[in-house]
Amino acid sequence: METTTATPPAGYVHSGVGSSNDSLASTRTWAVGLGVLAGLAMLASLYMVFFYAPTEATMGIVQRIFYVHVPSAWTAFMAFGIVALCSAGYLWLRDPRLDAIAVSSAELGVVFTTIVLITGPLWGRIAWGAWWVWEPRLTLTLLLWFIYVGYFMLRGAAENPERGRRFAAILGVVGAIDIPLIHLSVQWWRSQHPKPVIMRPEGAQADPAIVQTLLVSLLAFTLLFFSLMLFRYGLERLQTRAHALRAAPR
Amino acid sequence: MSAAAAPAPAVAARGVEKWYGPLAAVRGIDFSLAPGEFVTVFGPNGAGKTTLLRILCGAVKPTRGAVTIGGEDVGESGAARRRIGLLSHQTFLYPGLSAAENLDFYARLYGLPRRGERVEAALVSVGLHDRRADRVRTFSRGMQQRLALARTLLHGPAVILLDEPYTGLDPHAAAMLRTVLERLKDGRRTVVLVTHNLSQGLEQADRVVVQVAGRWVSDEPRAAVDAASFERVYTDRVAAAV
Amino acid sequence: MTTLAAGPREPAIAAAEDVSVSSDGRAMDADETAGAPFLAQVWAVARKDLLLEVRSRERLMSMATFAVLVAVVFSFAVDPAVRARSIGGAMIWVTVLFAGTLGMGRSWALEREAEALTGVMLAPIDHGALFLGKWLANLAIVLAVEALVFPVFALFFNLGFQGSLTALAAVVVLATVGFMALGTLFGAIAAHTRLGETLLPILLLPLLAPVVIFACAATQRLLVGRPVADVVSQLKMLGAFDLVFLFVCTAVFGAVLEE
Repeated sequence: METTTATPPAGYVHSGVGSSNDSLASTRTWAVGLGVLAGLAMLASLYMVFFYAPTEATMGIVQRIFYVHVPSAWTAFMAFGIVALCSAGYLWLRDPRLDAIAVSSAELGVVFTTIVLITGPLWGRIAWGAWWVWEPRLTLTLLLWFIYVGYFMLRGAAENPERGRRFAAILGVVGAIDIPLIHLSVQWWRSQHPKPVIMRPEGAQADPAIVQTLLVSLLAFTLLFFSLMLFRYGLERLQTRAHALRAAPR
Repeated sequence: MSAAAAPAPAVAARGVEKWYGPLAAVRGIDFSLAPGEFVTVFGPNGAGKTTLLRILCGAVKPTRGAVTIGGEDVGESGAARRRIGLLSHQTFLYPGLSAAENLDFYARLYGLPRRGERVEAALVSVGLHDRRADRVRTFSRGMQQRLALARTLLHGPAVILLDEPYTGLDPHAAAMLRTVLERLKDGRRTVVLVTHNLSQGLEQADRVVVQVAGRWVSDEPRAAVDAASFERVYTDRVAAAV
Repeated sequence: MTTLAAGPREPAIAAAEDVSVSSDGRAMDADETAGAPFLAQVWAVARKDLLLEVRSRERLMSMATFAVLVAVVFSFAVDPAVRARSIGGAMIWVTVLFAGTLGMGRSWALEREAEALTGVMLAPIDHGALFLGKWLANLAIVLAVEALVFPVFALFFNLGFQGSLTALAAVVVLATVGFMALGTLFGAIAAHTRLGETLLPILLLPLLAPVVIFACAATQRLLVGRPVADVVSQLKMLGAFDLVFLFVCTAVFGAVLEE
């Protein structure tokens, strides 16, 4: 009868070398390029953290952990924003590339969230004498960590991988909508507490040198995030293609 | 425009494909059925026959292609879905509800007028009226399938899809099903029957199809098929396509 | 045992057309029906779930038993020196959260027996209507459990509610509406995974943080007799949460059911 073979949907086909459709070569170029820039920015940031920024008056040397803590938090939440946008896009368009970006961002996001949850208590132990305090932003980050965990559990536990991606995308969208509400509720909750504890690792005054160092650190972390995310994205796309080739009829 | 005079085919599939990731269950099926046609689809396990039926009735969305019922896309039009009924080897009934309650639920879902009357008539026609208040959990397999048949036909569908309906039926229920299938050939209703059973499948067919690996490898009028040699022909076709 | 209706007894094997022919001989074809309106579909689904629950009472029994046992555990666990009054709201909502999550998985498991969900999906039902029907039934069932939990805790811990009971009812209803919206959505998701119901608390609890915070605070305030004006802001936040998530969950639900 017919001799034409139907092809898998876009995103699952190996288009071949030189094709403009989803070429991974450009991804790799960008990833390496951003990685180099990130490395340079990290070096600059390290120099500034240890030699340029002044030692903070009340907290001393330990305050410098702030230059890791705040950029990590920024990156963690930015990552989740990317997860949310790509999840919404995936639910709408069903393009597996959007899902690949989402899972890459999520994996990095959970790493940076963990860094926030480690550096926060480290700082808190010195500053307040307690390992954990229910400070609003730290609490929000903790809940974000759990949402990330749920994201990965859903992906892995579904009956078929396609559904797993869709379920995780739903959690991404619902989680993103919930985050502002959680933020409001946690803020309100702590404001009811007699002595609200506010995390001000940057110290009482915002010395320009501190702000500059912070911005450079932020840049370094953001570049690092995007570089690693692109590497991970490339890996995810290769895995999808390998799976497709393995499954294709001979 | 009334259903009988509609120029649109009763069921039409154009380029229907269903992919689960990189794997295909249905890889390109095109056909159209006129009102009143009775098509039997044969095929080995894993050929995608169940998936095709699920796509035809709108329960599963195809990756590519479209299915129209009476000219309207089944995925988008509620009116199209109202014209279809599916009888599967799964009954789609709630074991915890009674026979009458199950039918009443479906009548409500479809928004059928004169609900009570229809449910009664349906129960009578499949011989379950005296068990109407008993929970489906207490029914035998044959009785459950009879009730499922009532559920399928309750909203008076013009297109009826049957997915291996004889599976697990006792002779009484099987005989009833055969009678029902004969009566469905009234020139108005279109039937697609999927079955393993070659002799049962050929009985009422107007058109005989063999589906293998997600494609229709043969599609012939019944008259062109010789019942005696069909089994060998079928086996050959399956072997050639795999 | 029901008796046959009056009239000639039909033979057991009857014509298929008889199913859709009324007693006066008119054919009742699909084309003549206009289809059920949205609210009627919501009610059909809710009614069916409630009917199933009233019959078997399995979810109600398991949730209620669990809740009472948790109250007992709290009685053992809470140090007698602690004034139970100061943590009454907290204990109640912790119990409700876990008991409610427990029953959620079962709601969707029912649809998987005999693949009933496929049958429902065949009908021209709006996905949103299916979601809202299930949500409504879940809401009714969990509210019934809560109607038991509050008195039981009041009894065990000698909690006399001094505040307005109407306001308390408002808190309970608003909190449960949001709880059930997320619970119904993720219950459907969890039902289609290998881990099933065990995944549900992991998914739900972080997302329900706002509900827990505002419901506990409001309940505690009403317990100790603070005026209704003190809980208005919490009621508003719960209401906002409910509106947002009823909308979002209904909209997103179609993506859960697709194969």
